[in-house]
Amino acid sequence: MGILRLGYLHVRVTDMAEARKHYIETMGLKVTAEEAGKVYLKGWDEWDHHSVVLEEGGVGLAKLGFKVQSEDDLNTYENNARTFGATVERMSKGEELEVGQGIRVTTPSGHVVELYNEITYLGNEVGYLNPYPFPRHETGISVPALDHMLIMAEDVALNEKFFMDTFGMYAVEQIRPEIDSPARIATWLSAGQKNHDIAIVSGKDKGLHHFAFQLEDWSKILRAADIFAMDDVSIDITPTRHGITRGTTIYFFDPAGNRNETYAGGYRAYRDRPTTIWTPEHIGRGIFSHSRELNAAFTEVYT
Amino acid sequence: MSVLTVLPDNVSVRAKPGETILAVLSASGYGYRIGCRRGGCGICKVDLREGEVYYDHPVAESVLSQEEIAAGAVLSCRAVPVGDVTIELRDERLKLNSALLRSIRAVKAPTTKE
Ligand code: FES
Ligand SMILES: [Fe+2]
Repeated sequence: MGILRLGYLHVRVTDMAEARKHYIETMGLKVTAEEAGKVYLKGWDEWDHHSVVLEEGGVGLAKLGFKVQSEDDLNTYENNARTFGATVERMSKGEELEVGQGIRVTTPSGHVVELYNEITYLGNEVGYLNPYPFPRHETGISVPALDHMLIMAEDVALNEKFFMDTFGMYAVEQIRPEIDSPARIATWLSAGQKNHDIAIVSGKDKGLHHFAFQLEDWSKILRAADIFAMDDVSIDITPTRHGITRGTTIYFFDPAGNRNETYAGGYRAYRDRPTTIWTPEHIGRGIFSHSRELNAAFTEVYT
Repeated sequence: MSVLTVLPDNVSVRAKPGETILAVLSASGYGYRIGCRRGGCGICKVDLREGEVYYDHPVAESVLSQEEIAAGAVLSCRAVPVGDVTIELRDERLKLNSALLRSIRAVKAPTTKE
């Protein structure tokens, strides 16, 4: 029941040729469809038609989509969104390529979120019958799948409430200005057992902080950074650990300046867990566990 | 070889053809406020005081608008000087990251104390 995962996102890129090179050759995503000014991509371990869509022109996030389990879920979330007072509309089959009917909700922060329960099944690259652990011929860092994303909002507390009330997500970790404060500097929200499907940090509405791809472990993170150096990828934060979620990470930018992340590890979350709280004196360690310094880029640099 | 001058520090360094303002300053041992280095975040904007620049990549209107360009704003991670150029940083000073690199590229010692 409910939201299964962050299914897709559409990201704007200034130069499609450079973006293709980055997402296909460096990241290792595969093209599943092309339209005028759009390229549809997926990771090798994803079975649905696409997870990342590049849109030529501009920078930043165009929209994102959560896959839900059933049509009933669509109705439930539609009602919840209306009750919350959010703008919501029905999406017809095919409006999003290879995707069935759904709903389109605008968050208080102005982000466009689509929910759908049907998308063309392509299958992953190792198959489901006696599979090997990974495809034999990998490209670049060969990311298996999209993992999560972080968006910016002027009112983090309001948008946290929106995601909790409307989509039934729960807060796994939060940064608060004071331990007991109802205000939020940032929040990490989960719909299932990921430690976050989406996070929100204080900044300009509609902003995209980053979207993250899964990697298997720390050794893959190190190898990814090596490949980024070879491919002249602009690295924001070299391999380290997040105190928040305990995941290991690299922050870097695509050729249009959209921030990407590779993410490995971190703990599994459960709905009955207490929310971990971080206070401002410890944000540095929360975000970057080793340097323990919040760089200006974390809060000021996004698309 | 042309010269890039940065205000308010009044530092001048040598620029090689095709190098962005960011590339010139990094190669000269200087740091300043930058983010993505790819023209997406807009944090590296500076003001053009003299000379001309061109862009060798498309720049998003949402990052650097036509009005901003008309007012002299320059996206320094993507802007390539054409000949001698003077820029002014916005509410910050250059940060010296490497005296070694500076010694290779500097054409003039700063007139103000660093
Ligand atoms: S550093 Fe991001 S636009 Fe120049
Ligand atoms: Fe992340």
